[in-house]
Amino acid sequence: MPGKSRRDFLKTTAVIGAGVAGLSSSTAKAAPKNILSEDRMGVLVDTTVCVGCRNCEWACKTAHDLPAGELHSYEDRSVFTEKRRPGTKALTVVNEYSSGKNSNLPLDVKVQCMHCDHPACVSACIVGAFSKEENGSVIWDTDKCIGCRYCMAACPFQVPAFEYDKAINPSIMKCDFCFNRTKEGKLPACVAICPVEALTYGTRTELVKIARERIKRNPDKYVDHIFGEYEVGGTAWMYLSSKDFSELDFPKLGTNPAPGVSESIQHGIFAYFVPPVSLYALLGGIMWISKHRKELDEEGKL
Amino acid sequence: MKKIIVIIFLLTISLPLSAQKNPGKDHAKSNVNCKTCHVCDVPTKDDPCLVQCPREKMKTVYESPDKTVDVVSLDELSKKYLPVTFSHRVHAQMSVLSGGCGTCHHYNTSGPIQPCKNCHQTSRKRDDISKPDLEAAYHRQCITCHREWSHGTSCNSCHNLKTTNKEYQKEEVKKKVKGKVHPALIEPAKIVFETKYEKGKMVTFFHDDHTKKFKIDCTSCHKNETCLKCHDVNKTSNEKSKIIRAQKSLDEHHKKCFSCHKEDKCESCHLGKPSEHFDHKKRTGWVLNKFHDELSCAKCHGSKIPYSKLDTKCVNCHKGWNIENFKHTITGLQLDETHAQLNCEDCHEEKNFAVKPVCSNCHENFIYPRQKPGKMVRTK
Repeated sequence: MPGKSRRDFLKTTAVIGAGVAGLSSSTAKAAPKNILSEDRMGVLVDTTVCVGCRNCEWACKTAHDLPAGELHSYEDRSVFTEKRRPGTKALTVVNEYSSGKNSNLPLDVKVQCMHCDHPACVSACIVGAFSKEENGSVIWDTDKCIGCRYCMAACPFQVPAFEYDKAINPSIMKCDFCFNRTKEGKLPACVAICPVEALTYGTRTELVKIARERIKRNPDKYVDHIFGEYEVGGTAWMYLSSKDFSELDFPKLGTNPAPGVSESIQHGIFAYFVPPVSLYALLGGIMWISKHRKELDEEGKL
Repeated sequence: MKKIIVIIFLLTISLPLSAQKNPGKDHAKSNVNCKTCHVCDVPTKDDPCLVQCPREKMKTVYESPDKTVDVVSLDELSKKYLPVTFSHRVHAQMSVLSGGCGTCHHYNTSGPIQPCKNCHQTSRKRDDISKPDLEAAYHRQCITCHREWSHGTSCNSCHNLKTTNKEYQKEEVKKKVKGKVHPALIEPAKIVFETKYEKGKMVTFFHDDHTKKFKIDCTSCHKNETCLKCHDVNKTSNEKSKIIRAQKSLDEHHKKCFSCHKEDKCESCHLGKPSEHFDHKKRTGWVLNKFHDELSCAKCHGSKIPYSKLDTKCVNCHKGWNIENFKHTITGLQLDETHAQLNCEDCHEEKNFAVKPVCSNCHENFIYPRQKPGKMVRTK
């Protein structure tokens, strides 16, 4: 029950808080321990192969008990007129872009959680609900979640969505890399249904090799860039494209892990009592200046 | 004697081996993994270490499309749907202009056709994920073209659900596509390109001249066309007259023309407006009349393309013609008795038969063709 666990959480925080107070600040770390497994899995999305059939959208909804409708209704391509984002009703969506080469062979881009190797959501989650699992998926514990939505703000890809329309028990929604399916040895629902295998499921290390090989064999077809190989420190889902990724609404991101940036700023500010020291220094400075002025004024009067 | 028998024996073995088509000098640079055809890492000319194929019943990917299998049924993966039955021959015929058999039968050695499942595994959850699985391999072959011209990815355009009698449906489809051949291609007479060349934007290409008169093989220009070049559900019939805006790179556009028109000046193709059909008189200064108009270009210019310029002397082609045996009637003008006695150069100055004959050498105020030295026997 969420209520019960929240109480549990508050209890544990109180205990931890008391413990931390006695320790020095250097031992406390903001990010929970999430070990990156060597054999963590990933998906290589080849946008040049994707045909935009949107079967993955249907399979995803079906696998996550969301209202999905009939499979053949996804043949409707009019949805491509506007760019969609994953949300609470659809954890993955396919958008269509002009390929620039052949107007009748557009580029179709599936969007979902990228399952970062150094996830900002995991780092930002104040209750430790988020975790990077051994198989590469970034999942969260709904029972722990308090709905603070820090994960939404932290995500560099703006993926997590919140069920604002639900009055009771609203939760965070995002792609969970079909954690329940892969646990049983099944493929993620989208990977399993894709008729052209535009989504290749495998270990991240092997996928990078395969992606490189594809670029090497078809240098005219692909741009020499595997999106997600280095972006924000690497992601489990990686993309190949025939067009620059900035033209496909991919955010332009550095290679530094997203939590690294926010963590270093936070830690920098709070290390060595910087805020209180600087506050007192500032106040002291103001006092000194006003006192000095006063003295000068009095001298002038004399 | 034993040696001879051994040699004959070796020859009989090596003969079918040599039937394999030579892939060409630069084939090592192609996009094929060497291991597709060679067993060893460093194949040499003496020891190419080719993959062993059963060489009886040789069937290569270079077979003529008209002789290929008529109907093919893909039934390896029919779980939800019935096997996909399609006219292989029609597809093979279309492939001639768009990449050839190798488009589908890729990475195939020049030996027998390999079934797709030899390389593409049937299960999606598998060890070797460098190649797509069988379902994806099938779909990639078909959907890429089919969605290009149908603008959709509807499953039932190829698949039939397993709801009705299986055998019945399979036979129905087979009957529909059996013996089907691709209808004759409709060629455009001319195509007008709008280019970016400032001095002459319009290039008119007379397609029918190039195919019919110059007998240029379709594949010398159309090798890797997209399906869309001919097929599109949205295509309207009156698009033929439309002006096409040139979008390819400068090199791509010129490459095909330059194999013959290398010596031509820009202005001979790039004009201010769409040009009229080739006029022998306007372009070369030599009027084609009477019999000449009906001849094929090659009859005079030879089969070598580009055609070379001929000089206008009749005897260049009509080798046997001389003043004794030449019948002037053949020109359509029967000379009267007086004129028949004259030498050629009396009227045709310097024996230049390309220019109008002169009357002024003998007659005052007589001008050909107002006055004729005989009667017209045939008009055209």
